[in-house]
Amino acid sequence: MRFLGFCAVLLVGSFFAQEFVPVLMWAYAARLLLVHTVFYCVALAVPFPVMLFFAAIAGFCWDARFHVPVPPLDAITPGLLNSELPFGFSMFLFALLGSVIQGVRPVFRKGRWELPIILVSGCIGLGMLIELLVISFQRGEWLSPAEFWWKLLLTAMFSALLSPFLLLLLSRVANRTRFRLWVEGLQRRQRYDGESL
Amino acid sequence: MSRFNLFFVFAFVGLVVWVTLFSPRLIGNIQEGALVIFRPFMEASDRLEEEVGDLGEEPVTQSEWRERILGVERERDQLRLEVTQLDEILNENNQLRRALQYTERSPISLVAARVVHRKPTVWHHTVLIDKGRSEGIEVDFPVVVPVGEETALVGKVSEVVGEHNAVIILLIDEVCQVSARLDGTQEQGIISGERGAMRLLPSLRLRYLTKESGAYPGMKVYSSGAGELFPPNLLIGEVVQFDVGVIDAEALVIPSVDFSRLKDIFVLLPLKGTEESDDPVEIPTRPLPAPSL
Repeated sequence: MRFLGFCAVLLVGSFFAQEFVPVLMWAYAARLLLVHTVFYCVALAVPFPVMLFFAAIAGFCWDARFHVPVPPLDAITPGLLNSELPFGFSMFLFALLGSVIQGVRPVFRKGRWELPIILVSGCIGLGMLIELLVISFQRGEWLSPAEFWWKLLLTAMFSALLSPFLLLLLSRVANRTRFRLWVEGLQRRQRYDGESL
Repeated sequence: MSRFNLFFVFAFVGLVVWVTLFSPRLIGNIQEGALVIFRPFMEASDRLEEEVGDLGEEPVTQSEWRERILGVERERDQLRLEVTQLDEILNENNQLRRALQYTERSPISLVAARVVHRKPTVWHHTVLIDKGRSEGIEVDFPVVVPVGEETALVGKVSEVVGEHNAVIILLIDEVCQVSARLDGTQEQGIISGERGAMRLLPSLRLRYLTKESGAYPGMKVYSSGAGELFPPNLLIGEVVQFDVGVIDAEALVIPSVDFSRLKDIFVLLPLKGTEESDDPVEIPTRPLPAPSL
């Protein structure tokens, strides 16, 4: 329970820290998506229902802070563009990609971090790509300039650089708080006690 | 997946559907609340960014500050005189128009605002200003800055977040679309930013021009006033490239405003009626007062 409390504090703290993360215009306006990186790392360590709870909190707070409502356009082009990513879309995205991340929990539990780190940065890129697809669908035009792919790559790379430190922090805190990183599937099939992996 | 997890999935889906059905008013209230919580961090972040940005620059001495203030005061006095003269000319012009039974030009008032946060979101180019509902700012009001002797378009109000804050969506964003015309011609098109706009100075796309429009590099682009959302004759930028397509033509335009250095901006408010007032100032088509230090 103390570990889950720590994860919640880490997630909330990442929102405030995100305000201090600069946007690097020389790097195609890429930046470290701290909240996303923290969430995906936490998603590796917590059970599925808790991940969903965190996805709801993180997604709601992200949209409350960064959602941009699109006003109606100039009357000369009515109806061309009247909707964007809806409020609450980040909740869905966090939960979807958090579920993907949950797939490598057993690997993380074994102490192998290569795949989780790749997947954390991959999910950041995938999240951006999904948002672009939704925006493009709603605007009725697919545009993906080379700059976008660079932005996606660099943003994912920044999170890949940070995630090992976050995973280290989470595993240390899990040990300190005696939190066992359960693997529910294995536990059921093999009567896994949570210790022997 | 266990029944236990399935229950949480259904509960989560229900929650997401409920949130996506929130009314714009409720979303506005939520964002207003979030802004109250995050504002100290946003301000601290901007201060830090400014200080880090100023690290390499020479410190300004007290005498240099004094000189600058004197210079600004001189400029202010000069502008006051010009405003008085222009007001007289405007009155005279309106009288003549009335005499000729033309429609009187509707005055427009300005609200000076300061950019308090300029960090873009992942997909949108927005800035937060320190003026809001209490100053009469509403969604879709145009935002301008002085550039040389002209008034340049910055964007429009995207959202009014509380009594003293509003979000401005910048011209370089794809969703900020403006009807524009090429200087010296009747050619009109729609100008907007590029999706993502991930460069230091992103260019704008002026679309739906006729193939015979004859735009050339260096040609200025102004708002046309069509649609009545943006007033006419606001400077937008300069053409750098002109491409003729199968049906229509498109021009690449470099914006006149340096969006990375926005500090003081002006929101245009339409005045109800035509009675004169001391404050705010009127008529956006003449040069705006220079922003203060």
